[in-house]
Amino acid sequence: MSAAFSEAQVIQQSAAPSWAQRFASTVKRLYTRPASAFGASVFVIFLILALFGPFFAPYGLNQIIATEARQPPSTAHWFGTDNLGRDVFSRVILGAREILTLSGLGTLLAVISGTLFGLFSGYQGEWLDEVIMRFFDSLLSLPALLLALLLLGVLGPSSNSVLVVIVIVYTPIVARVVRSVVLSVKNKAFVEAARLQGESLGRLLMREILPSVLPALAVESALRFSYAIFLVASLGFLGVGVQPPSPNWGLMVKEGRNFVNQIPWALYFPAGAISIVVIGVNLLADGLKRALQAPGSE
Amino acid sequence: MTEGPGEEPTPAATEAATEPAGTQAGTLRIAMQPIVQTDPGFISSDPEVLVANHIYDYLVDITAENEIAPRLATDWQVSDDGLSYVFTLAEGVSFHDGSPLAAEDVVWTFDRLRDPDLGLPTSSLYENITSIEATGDLEVTFTLLDPNPFFLFDLSDNHALILKAGTEDPSVFNGTGPFVVVDYSPEDRLIAEANENYFVDDQPQLQGLEFIFFSDQTAQVEALRGGQVDLVMVISTDLFQSLQNEPGLELLQVATNGFDLVRLRADQEPGNDPQVIQALKLATDRDAIYSLVLQGFGEIGRDSPIGPLYAQYYTEELALPGRDVEEARRLLAAAGYEDGLDLELHTPDTGNRPNLAVVLKEQWAEAGVNVEVLVEPESVYYGEDGWLQVNLGITGWGSRPYPQFYLDVMMKCDAIWNEAHFCDEELDELIATAGTTMDEQERVDAYQEIQRILIERGPIIIPYFFAQLGAINDQFQGFEMKAFPGRSDLRPVTFAGG
Amino acid sequence: MSRPGNPEKPVLNIEDLTVAYRQGDEWLTAVRQVSLEIRAGETYGLVGESGSGKTTLVLAVMRYLSENGTVRNGKVELDGRNLLALSEHEMRKVWGRQITLVPQNPQSALNPSIRIGEQLAETLRVYPGLRPAEAKRRAIELLEMVHIADPERVAQSYQHQISGGMQQRVMIAMALSTEPLLLILDEPTTSLDVTTQAVILDLVRELIRGRHTAALYVTHNLGVVAQVCDRVAVMYGAELVEDASTRDLYKNPLHPYTRGLLDSVPKLGETKDKVQLRAIQGQIPPLGERPSGCVFRPRCPLAIEVCYERPPLYEPAMDRRSRCHRWDEIDRGEGERRKRAFRFGGKEHSAGGKEHSAQQPPPAAAQMSANRVDERPVVLNLQDLDVHFPLGRSLPELIRQEPPRKVRAVNSVDLEIQRGVTLGLVGESGSGKTTIARAITGLEAKTSGRIELLDVRLPAKLSDRDLETLRHLQLVFQNPEEAFNPYLTVGESLRRPLVTLMGKSNKEAEEEVARLLEAVRLPPAYARRLPGQLSGGEKQRAAIARAFASNPDLLICDEPVSSLDVSVQASILNLLNEMQIEHSNSMLFISHNLAVVGFLADKIAVIYLGHLMEVADARDLFEPPYHPYTEALLSAIPLADPDAEQEQIRLEGEIPSPTDIPSGCPFHTRCPRFLGDICVEEVPPWREHEASGKRYFCHIPVEDLLESQERVFVFEKQEQ
Repeated sequence: MSAAFSEAQVIQQSAAPSWAQRFASTVKRLYTRPASAFGASVFVIFLILALFGPFFAPYGLNQIIATEARQPPSTAHWFGTDNLGRDVFSRVILGAREILTLSGLGTLLAVISGTLFGLFSGYQGEWLDEVIMRFFDSLLSLPALLLALLLLGVLGPSSNSVLVVIVIVYTPIVARVVRSVVLSVKNKAFVEAARLQGESLGRLLMREILPSVLPALAVESALRFSYAIFLVASLGFLGVGVQPPSPNWGLMVKEGRNFVNQIPWALYFPAGAISIVVIGVNLLADGLKRALQAPGSE
Repeated sequence: MTEGPGEEPTPAATEAATEPAGTQAGTLRIAMQPIVQTDPGFISSDPEVLVANHIYDYLVDITAENEIAPRLATDWQVSDDGLSYVFTLAEGVSFHDGSPLAAEDVVWTFDRLRDPDLGLPTSSLYENITSIEATGDLEVTFTLLDPNPFFLFDLSDNHALILKAGTEDPSVFNGTGPFVVVDYSPEDRLIAEANENYFVDDQPQLQGLEFIFFSDQTAQVEALRGGQVDLVMVISTDLFQSLQNEPGLELLQVATNGFDLVRLRADQEPGNDPQVIQALKLATDRDAIYSLVLQGFGEIGRDSPIGPLYAQYYTEELALPGRDVEEARRLLAAAGYEDGLDLELHTPDTGNRPNLAVVLKEQWAEAGVNVEVLVEPESVYYGEDGWLQVNLGITGWGSRPYPQFYLDVMMKCDAIWNEAHFCDEELDELIATAGTTMDEQERVDAYQEIQRILIERGPIIIPYFFAQLGAINDQFQGFEMKAFPGRSDLRPVTFAGG
Repeated sequence: MSRPGNPEKPVLNIEDLTVAYRQGDEWLTAVRQVSLEIRAGETYGLVGESGSGKTTLVLAVMRYLSENGTVRNGKVELDGRNLLALSEHEMRKVWGRQITLVPQNPQSALNPSIRIGEQLAETLRVYPGLRPAEAKRRAIELLEMVHIADPERVAQSYQHQISGGMQQRVMIAMALSTEPLLLILDEPTTSLDVTTQAVILDLVRELIRGRHTAALYVTHNLGVVAQVCDRVAVMYGAELVEDASTRDLYKNPLHPYTRGLLDSVPKLGETKDKVQLRAIQGQIPPLGERPSGCVFRPRCPLAIEVCYERPPLYEPAMDRRSRCHRWDEIDRGEGERRKRAFRFGGKEHSAGGKEHSAQQPPPAAAQMSANRVDERPVVLNLQDLDVHFPLGRSLPELIRQEPPRKVRAVNSVDLEIQRGVTLGLVGESGSGKTTIARAITGLEAKTSGRIELLDVRLPAKLSDRDLETLRHLQLVFQNPEEAFNPYLTVGESLRRPLVTLMGKSNKEAEEEVARLLEAVRLPPAYARRLPGQLSGGEKQRAAIARAFASNPDLLICDEPVSSLDVSVQASILNLLNEMQIEHSNSMLFISHNLAVVGFLADKIAVIYLGHLMEVADARDLFEPPYHPYTEALLSAIPLADPDAEQEQIRLEGEIPSPTDIPSGCPFHTRCPRFLGDICVEEVPPWREHEASGKRYFCHIPVEDLLESQERVFVFEKQEQ
């Protein structure tokens, strides 16, 4: 029971941990559990693939070799070739860059926008908060994929539109999470003390309230990232917002359906990639949640 | 598997009087792309023709062997000078609303089709007709300006379905055909029942037809596999391959003159410089396309719509330049694109066309042409601002009984579907000659010359002629798929299942 | 007084008990070699602050330690049986039967979804195994035993429908229902109001001491111990440092820690001009960082060489123990106890030196007498202040178009604070005292009335006020743990007001920060620390430093010492006084603790249900005439002197809800001096006692009060 620990309320640490130290200790904590270790590793691997993909891919994304079409996995083509003679392994790797940058950037923008809304709405409260939150509720009532298709119909299909769609679809959830932390923090003594000292609204939100929001925000961002990856893949599967010969994994799955009986590897590898990345990032989010909640950390 | 209303075909006829022997049984469910047009005057796609073909009748029909067969017209006489045609209509034909077929209906239908003010696609086709008269209760006489060796084929144009005279809204289904429309929901399906009073004995053999709309080809095939539909026509080679060992299906394959063409508009940049089009042709590797995209189901094309199916007109003696990337680059540089050329390639999302687009992108990239592929739903590509307007597109053309059609409709300067916006006077003259002369040799020579010109400076790339692929539930018998699948005849099809 | 019970057979015998917690690879000792015995019929008090180990000791006795806690050594015998050797199965027969517990927080001890009567009956059905009908009947009897009026109604109620005081009575009933050998009470009144606490303590005395049940009463409140316990054991830093009868402990403590504790807590009625608080300097050592030798050595004013050796538990007398090498010197009176002082002044004493009260030349601030106060300029003026919060209406209420109910937190309050004066505001829960502070600062918007600061009318909302206003008015919060942004260093937090309110540059502010830290006696190096690295007391000091950054004219302190350890409270109170002397600021000091307020304030206002009841000079408040509420308060506060005499005026019923304030005089529902209809129908007038200048809100005229009231409490004369 923590009662005994709270008996000795004095905490003597030798020095205030720096951000780098806190980061390192969080990473360490992630790796103590197998599930989150897997998630973190998957994330890192795919990040590397996204950044340095072209170095690892032995073939081009649309490199058509007619004579080697429809080959099963072999030493020459680790994941085999598809119906047009393209190396599936290379396309999966290059697809990593496409999917991860699109969903990563989208998530980042959604997180920023959601945080701003959540901070502002949660702090101001009253009718402004009501209006914003009810509007977000209405967006949340639509399933993400449906909302995405609706928006893409309006905006026209293109990668920029997909980016906008990710922001619109996920801002409400991030705003909710941020707002809930803000509500619990804004009545704390140090925030009131800052108000009594005449701090501007901007400083109150950014310096006093935001740091308390960060742990929950980090976890939610990771979670949103995994959902965004899935959304982008789903849109690719529906053929919306992406054009061949893009190595979008969802699109590869869609195309692979046509000949799944003859060349199943052309479908299974991109599908597998989607699964592994989504599950991995999800586990990472879960691990982050535990790591950041551990006693002794902020 | 099939949801036919009856279990066993009953031996005795218990239906209405006009059906002597062999009762109708079985409902054939056909998976196809959604139809947009129901007015026979405006139909264009395979599904639209297939539907109309069974709700209405043609005056004369074209068999699978490309021969003329009687339909509403039982007999005809051609004058010696080829300028007058007299048709005798069948007796006892009535429209679905009960009114009997008369000569006026034929006259009215064709008058409408050739009326330049109404702007139907057939208006230029029937320019040659000077008059159409009802010269008897069931007799119609056509008078031509110039002789037309293909006139009977023209009268069997996809659009030339006979409507009742004075029809105000031709999109409402009221034909003489073997099936009557019972229900139509544009998003879902069209249901038709056998026409009890159909003027041909023993036909139709089926109890009903259901045209079920899918916009996704893969879904159509899946439905066939799963037993939710019985017939799918127009399948890509990949999907066809995937059905190879599927039990309960009969695979259908017929050589056609259908092709996919790739065309750059010749009336604007960059296509207005013929060197550019030449460069694209030289950058194309037809053999690779044939093996990758078509997987051997068809024939390699030679950039002209006169294909090997027209044995008497087709020639391979003309040299077709092989792939030459260096030359392509040189031509592009000469045309002012030494730094490369950016193009947007539009294509419908059906058949082999998306794969063709992707392969072309790769092949042309070697010549410095940067292609952005834009796959669109058929309704978008064939809609307004679609295939007739885009700069670079891939269009699919269905098989026709004679090649003149393509030339008239696509290649003439003022052709109604001149998607390449191409105009060449010499070509125009040759097309006119080939289309009017009664001298067969003259025609052959003209076609050969046309093929040469098209290889030399034509605006279109025709990489292949595809075989038409389909599959049908083997419980249905007697089905013959035609090269233009929309014209396949379901009247003799019977259901042998239980 | 001799000990009751049989020395041969104590009910609870703890011998040499050592308990430690595992943290990572280390063992942290929470209880070190503690031995004590409780005999039948004894109420044994266990006193300690945070980190003393008292809670762990209780958990160990109950065999309820958490997973990482282990008994490393020693034995615990209940009626001769070693509890530590029992299996869990056997232990289950001990829990709830032979040992029962009255916990600190009845809310979490009672099941919120089962009715009270059923919960009681349930335990009775298990043991002693009554049949349902009998158990039900006995449950009602138990409720009567703890003086619950209308026990049937309470038996039908759920936990949230009854007040805290009543919940605690139910817990006592439950604990006594099995007639246990040992009853453990773990801070049972900490969460209750003073007046409610008094009733519970009465109950404890009646039911437990009267019954020969052995009881272990754990608390940090020295007053409660004095009034309830027969014997006291004092724990500090995991060790037992003193153990004696209550009287002996209070009259003649033989351990410097005990003495320090007693000296640092203000006695009721002692004011700052008469007495000086001796704070115990230093910090409680954290778990696992035990000083070598005597655990109290670093903070002990009497520490010498020999103290580097851990003292054994000496036995100065029969049933008296002390863990101090110098106990005999203390006994002889070498260390001085609290002195009377004519002036307030006082710095901390350095360790190792002989203690001397450092008499500084007197600064100007002696306690203000009523006359002189009224001549000084007014800093804060509250006129007819109302703060009401409307509650949402339920659907039926909306339909019936009833006006929304309101929480009337503050009603018609008139107050004045002059320059340099400390006004203490005293009240129980629901009195509105915190709301007044929030309304003055603008954190809550007032509903009506005037708030004037330095003759300037203040807007109701904080956001409408300008920086100039904010400079003059600062607030010290109750909870020092949340008072600082955990992500900023202390220095950064202190810099902000200097920059924002005082317009200093960052560099100037840094220098000023060092100065501020020094003024509150914190090392300047603390500026680089994060708040999490400071103790509670240190954080509160830093908070005070921050409040003084803008040199405010009025400092509002909202229960600033309530969440701190007792030994630390004194230093904060001293600090506040010093700062006031230096800055000449006024102070509004809010607390529920009348002893602390009495010590620190010049004037005191007593508030009940948002209405002021009495306003008087500090020293006059403790003498009659009293407002009946004040009278009851004073008689309810447990005095830290077992020999003190005190009236036993008890209030009936519970404090009404601020949504439903009684008509006329809000106190009339509980007033022991209720007159009659007039109290129900008419709002009382403000009356004044000419001689002292105190004014009070009551229908009873001054003469009547003077006639019928005696001084509520009297301490024994102290020795010089």
